[in-house]
Amino acid sequence: MNNDYLWDGSGKPDPDIENLERVLGRFRHNRPAPRFPEIIPGNEPRRSRFAWSLSIFQSLVVATGAMAVLFLSVWFVHRSIRGAAGEETFAVTGLQGAPKVGTQAFTTRGQLSIGQSLSTDQNSRARIHVNDFGDVTIEPNSRVRLLDARSNRKQLALDRGGLHARITAPPWQFYVETPSATAVDLGCEYTLTVDDSGAGLLRVTFGWVQFYSGDRQALIPAGAAARTRPGIGPGTPYFEDVSPGYQKALEELDFGKGAPAARAAALDLLLKESRSADVLSLFPLLSRVSESERGLIYERLSVLSPAPLGVTREGIIRGDNAQISLWWDHWGLGHPKK
Amino acid sequence: MDVAPVAAARDGDRMAFGILYERYVRMVHGILLSRVPLVEVDDLVHEVFLVALRQLHTLRSDAAFGAWLARITRNRAHDYFRRSPARKEVALPEVLPGPGAESSSAEAEAHVALNAIRALPAAYRETLVLRLVEGMTGPEIAARTGLTPASVRVNLHRGMKLLRKKLSGKTDYE
Repeated sequence: MNNDYLWDGSGKPDPDIENLERVLGRFRHNRPAPRFPEIIPGNEPRRSRFAWSLSIFQSLVVATGAMAVLFLSVWFVHRSIRGAAGEETFAVTGLQGAPKVGTQAFTTRGQLSIGQSLSTDQNSRARIHVNDFGDVTIEPNSRVRLLDARSNRKQLALDRGGLHARITAPPWQFYVETPSATAVDLGCEYTLTVDDSGAGLLRVTFGWVQFYSGDRQALIPAGAAARTRPGIGPGTPYFEDVSPGYQKALEELDFGKGAPAARAAALDLLLKESRSADVLSLFPLLSRVSESERGLIYERLSVLSPAPLGVTREGIIRGDNAQISLWWDHWGLGHPKK
Repeated sequence: MDVAPVAAARDGDRMAFGILYERYVRMVHGILLSRVPLVEVDDLVHEVFLVALRQLHTLRSDAAFGAWLARITRNRAHDYFRRSPARKEVALPEVLPGPGAESSSAEAEAHVALNAIRALPAAYRETLVLRLVEGMTGPEIAARTGLTPASVRVNLHRGMKLLRKKLSGKTDYE
């Protein structure tokens, strides 16, 4: 055994210890730091004995103050806004069973602070009241964390399970992070699920949602959905009334192993089955496929949604983003409000 | 080294508390990981730092912040089991590998090793988790936890010896 290596990592590495470091490294802390309260609760200056000898008048003042604090506390809880630490918190309601905030189970009401998690087991459900933004229902076997609660940006992380968000806030203010992509509300209602591998599915029932990871993004309107995979990000959005074969073909193009025959068959099926509404899927594909595949998509798109002035076959084939955007804007469904 | 950020944090400087968090989060995480179920660790880390933030004004010596925080962490782990005596250490993986996981055998190997460490006496398992899981060196463990370097060295060597014994016959570490 090499003692120096165990002590400070110096000297000749001990293979046993190196192996333990490698296999155990997966448990290492890797979460980002939460935001901490600006005001430190309980941080009061130390008092002299004299200061503790309050007069009756002072006691009355303190008692009145305490009543005011009590009143404000009740009001704060009911309004589910600022917590004792001066930071925003969200009120949570148990809908079924005994969900947990952190390690504490509750049945009716609770508070979720920044950095805390809300988890449900197979028998429990809960609702998070996102102040004036709307509410989020947490389905069984789920875990979410509150990452941000500023007035103009609220952010949850869905580690696993499912949630249903109904948001009435202006666009670009409510975010849900998953292990493989982040959903941004654009004034909408949607369902998001994440499995144990970190793969997810986002289904929009009202409005629009942007789903992104790095440069890869999907804009998903009501009636449509998109999948996401760890290490890749969101796939191509599709309307949910497309055939199962159509969905499988998109999965092949988005997340498949890239076998040429499989890709060709998938693209062939997509082009054959695409209706005018399915340009929702064809437009994003333009920036995710090879030049030769782009040419085939251009041909089909031209039939479903004729290219406006300024968009050329050559421009689309070389992947000109300005032309792709121009064509997208010309399409009837349009952009969500910004 | 930590006197200035501790004093600033006590005066309400959130950034200073963030610095302390970055410096000590691995220690808190490691101490908890050596004692409570894996799925509870992240929530308890958060709770420990909130307790520390609330109680910072009670700290008498700023230089003793690490030892003080370590004590809060151990107490919180103790409270976790005291609040519900039915809670026990979970021997099997609480988070099962999904399709994207590296391999089920690597996952199983990691849990076998972690459980073997958790079965050691408290002083050894805590020090070994900080060294082998959190990647801290012996001097760093001593500086953060307030233990003497000599104690940490002894805990590491004796703990490693016991761990090798425990793992022998189950894995090829020895």
